[in-house]
Amino acid sequence: MNMDTLALVDKVFGSKILLYILLIAALIYPFASPLGIPVSISSRTMQVYNYVKSLKPGCYVYMEIYYEVAARGELEPNVVALVKQLFDKDCKIVFVSLIGTGPIVFSLLRSTAADLFNTKKYGVDYVYLGYVSGQEAAAASLAKSIKGTVSVDNYGNRIETLPLLREVDKATDFSLAIIASSGTDTFNWYVRQWYTPYNVSLLFVALSVIAPSVEPFVGAKQAIGMLVGQRSAAEYELLVGRKGLGLASMDSQSLTHALILVFIAAGNVVYWGKRLRTKKK
Amino acid sequence: MVSWELFGAWIGAFLIIWIYSFAFKDNVLYKLAEHIFVGTAAGYSVALALDSLNRVAIKSLLAQPAASWHYLIPVILGVLMFLKYSRRYYWVARYGIALNVAIGTALAVRTIPMANIVRQLQAAIVPLWGSDPLKVFNNWLTFLITMGGLTYFLFTIFPKKPETGKVSATYTVYKVLYLIGVYGMMIGFGALFANTIMTRVGFVISVYLIYLQPYMEATVIAVILATIAILIEIRRRSRSKCMTLRRMS
Repeated sequence: MNMDTLALVDKVFGSKILLYILLIAALIYPFASPLGIPVSISSRTMQVYNYVKSLKPGCYVYMEIYYEVAARGELEPNVVALVKQLFDKDCKIVFVSLIGTGPIVFSLLRSTAADLFNTKKYGVDYVYLGYVSGQEAAAASLAKSIKGTVSVDNYGNRIETLPLLREVDKATDFSLAIIASSGTDTFNWYVRQWYTPYNVSLLFVALSVIAPSVEPFVGAKQAIGMLVGQRSAAEYELLVGRKGLGLASMDSQSLTHALILVFIAAGNVVYWGKRLRTKKK
Repeated sequence: MVSWELFGAWIGAFLIIWIYSFAFKDNVLYKLAEHIFVGTAAGYSVALALDSLNRVAIKSLLAQPAASWHYLIPVILGVLMFLKYSRRYYWVARYGIALNVAIGTALAVRTIPMANIVRQLQAAIVPLWGSDPLKVFNNWLTFLITMGGLTYFLFTIFPKKPETGKVSATYTVYKVLYLIGVYGMMIGFGALFANTIMTRVGFVISVYLIYLQPYMEATVIAVILATIAILIEIRRRSRSKCMTLRRMS
């Protein structure tokens, strides 16, 4: 490849506008014409599914909803699939948010999975405590006693009036704590305040971008597993039999990644081509 | 009839497109969307903080004053934090901050050695021989990259290359581990970058599926408006460039 060709490739593939336009096209095209790329179930997702499946029917589960509206697309499909599996087993869930955007994303979660929540009774089958300020201190306090930390739930109901919260109060009352978070610190807090002192089983639901930072906890068996981004969501949706955003986005994800690979390859060809030519000269 | 829900969805679609329009060029609609976002987020945060204070402390204090009197202590310390705006009594604000930092540190420190050091060390100790070749290979990778990563961050004591003569075995081992550490971290950063792309693409896909695709008319109108705003911005910039050139000549 001569220098002129390299310069042309550099100019074409170095165009920011072209990259954005092609990305938008790659993103939207599969929704107009689905590619139908098969989704296989990974052993890690299967392991999480089997663990939740092995829980006793009617068990108590704690779920931290710690993400912003922007991160909804990656985390909510995982949370919805998990809620379906848990509700199918008649498990009772206590939802909490240690982040200010929690009440918004929880209301969006309820509207997305209205079919799941409408079959269950608020206060008996599930409860949302709302935003609890204090971050790690709040996580530690909730582990010790929910009643001692908050007096009312997100909707202003007194804790004593909610039947579910008469059955559970502390970390050891829960069979599983699910942490769906868009931040790395949250996982640290729960490993430090829930797993280490009380040995509560933790399940992580993380964004793809932060999964490598949280992986050491899973590798050290401080969590029973981790669901990562839309890919895990698609797999879990297949397993629980409820199609959602995870599966819908897989074709688009694949095509967009293929396009980025092409751009990275072209960038490397230009870089090495120019470097070799300059060295020869 | 237009419902509030539909109106909100249209506003949502408009703001999303206008925010993304920054990727092409800064423009007036991007700035409008940005200011709306910052204002709304600030207002929401203040309202949420007050609601949290009301739900956790005020309601409890009013309902059961005898059992909840201890909530008064953090409330008073929190109010005292506002004294940092006073030139005379700014130092009083430090009590609240000091207590906050002390409790946070104490809570974290009691479990950090076990959660973040001992368990991670235990997980890094893996069998290097066994019947499953893939597992053995993975374990060797874990072992070598962990050692390599730690070697890379040795800043105080490390063998130096002799200026003349043969290099020592210690130096060779150090150098090999150092290189393994460098390449291990590079692979790690590569994986991190790939995951970053996946997350960002995931965000865009979900935004498209949830907020844009169901309201295609709003999306198209927002795109047209953003294109006009970008063109106006380009024209404004070229004009101001011409003016500057004229003034200079």
